[in-house]
Amino acid sequence: MTARVVVAAMGNEYRRDDGVGAAVVAAVAPLLDELRAPGFDATGVGPFGDPLDLLGPWDHATLAVVVDAVRTGAAPGTVVVVDLGGPGGSEAVDRRASSTHGLGVAGALRLARAVGRAPDRVVAVGIEGGDFGNGTGLSEAVDRAVGEAAARVLDLVRSVRPCA
Amino acid sequence: MTHGHRSGNRTVEVPGLARVEGEGALRVEIRDGAVTEVTLDIFEPPRFFEALLEGRRFDEAPDITARICGICPVAYQMSACRAMEDACAVTVSAPVAALRRLLYCGEWIQSHALHVYLLHAPDFLGCQDAVELAGIDRAAVERGLELKRTGNQLMQAVGGRAVHPVNVRVGGFYRAPDTAALRALAEPLRRARDAALRTVEWVAGFEFPDVEGDYRFVALTHPDHYPVDDGQVALPGGDAVSAAQFADIAVEEHVERSTALHARLEGRHPYLTGPLARYAHNSARLPELARQAAAAAGLGEVCRNPFQSIVVRAVELVFACDEALRLVEAYERFDPAADVVDAREGVGTGATEAPRGLLVHRYGIGADGVIRSARIMPPTSQNQLTIEEDLRRVVETGLDLSDEDLTWRCEQAVRNHDPCISCAAHFLDLTVVRS
Repeated sequence: MTARVVVAAMGNEYRRDDGVGAAVVAAVAPLLDELRAPGFDATGVGPFGDPLDLLGPWDHATLAVVVDAVRTGAAPGTVVVVDLGGPGGSEAVDRRASSTHGLGVAGALRLARAVGRAPDRVVAVGIEGGDFGNGTGLSEAVDRAVGEAAARVLDLVRSVRPCA
Repeated sequence: MTHGHRSGNRTVEVPGLARVEGEGALRVEIRDGAVTEVTLDIFEPPRFFEALLEGRRFDEAPDITARICGICPVAYQMSACRAMEDACAVTVSAPVAALRRLLYCGEWIQSHALHVYLLHAPDFLGCQDAVELAGIDRAAVERGLELKRTGNQLMQAVGGRAVHPVNVRVGGFYRAPDTAALRALAEPLRRARDAALRTVEWVAGFEFPDVEGDYRFVALTHPDHYPVDDGQVALPGGDAVSAAQFADIAVEEHVERSTALHARLEGRHPYLTGPLARYAHNSARLPELARQAAAAAGLGEVCRNPFQSIVVRAVELVFACDEALRLVEAYERFDPAADVVDAREGVGTGATEAPRGLLVHRYGIGADGVIRSARIMPPTSQNQLTIEEDLRRVVETGLDLSDEDLTWRCEQAVRNHDPCISCAAHFLDLTVVRS
């Protein structure tokens, strides 16, 4: 049986730090290629603006890692990792509409669970953004955090990779 | 959240309107049993995309404006391309035009499937959201997701990506897809067309409030086909004008309570764009299959019940799947994938039909190809005043409803028009004051 990992970028590269998900996935993509092996597949996808577009790419994955900018009040560049659980997952996931036309990542996960297509496990890797203005390019603190976030993503990927 | 009671002075508040995008507030005041005020207070920060465009090259506009919305990026790309080509006096070749229409069909399928199944249908079935709907009708939600997936596939194949396509440029495309890659979509599109027909049957069975609007419909119209990205702008009464003429008579004004501009025809009349308007001006030009589905669903040539917009959207899903199938079956790869567009000083206007309504772009560019001025009229900005009129009508005919039911009805009335607040810069909390 093949273990399958999907690393998904969320966000918009034209809203500065909101593009950090895409930057992290771009950074890990070559390493995902190296980690692929018989019985193990790892793919980077996105960036997605609509969390509903996670349905499909992440269906029934062993692990889905969703990488996105977050705004929690922490210092820009702070990396947070939140385990959103598996198919039966925690109902503590925010039920409020929060993103494009009503469904955020949490909503997309709830819907995936409702139709039996959720990944075995979903982990969100968030990078605190500082500048969500118009334009391309990350702010300095967020740009510096790309390496740490990529390392956290790769740790998660390796955790489900069978030993070679 | 609801406060108050059904008679005398009362206030109904909904702090957050779900299943629309953005931030804002809706306020309804009822005094002595009469609706005295209905306003959409929009306070999402304005996005300044128009200012961002000034100083950029004319051929950057499709990619920059596509980022205004993750739901309708193709609409932004297409209106931008058409405006730039208008400014540079270029008419694209027939293969480019056909491939654009195909890409646009992908966006319609994607967007309409999302709205019909995941955002709007829960209103009619007493569900808070699509997750709850999946609990009572999982097959329906699966059908909606499958339709949306087919739209994504089409966007991926033609646009290079399912969201924010990267293959579009002024004059055409960076690369025309391989013939086999598009022909492979024929079978998924046949299945999607069947699913769309089932969608029409499904939504036609919903219960609709008996409300009709005296709408001033504005939509593209074309003598040969149902409009997507070409044609003239049909006005209320039936006259049609060019996109440039329309941009002159659609006057936008700033309203203090809103960060979105409000549009009126000739500075006076609110109007409505979107599926109801497209259908009213063009129902006779739907393909036979979609016309039959509309008739079986009980739609006449014009539909003025805003709650039945879900039926019209479903009929347009049939159209989009059928049209996309026709286009992929006729497709042959072509080269070059884009016509040459040399910048020249001028002003150009482009109008296309985003899933939720008419999207107009106007740019002034210099001889050096730099954008000097930009104006974008998204459908939600154009529809806002009419949505207010709708809400007034809905409240006036629903005064005997409980606050909770009235609030639900108001939210539903807003969603009838599938507003995209990020596009409009703009939107929604609900407050009903009864006194």
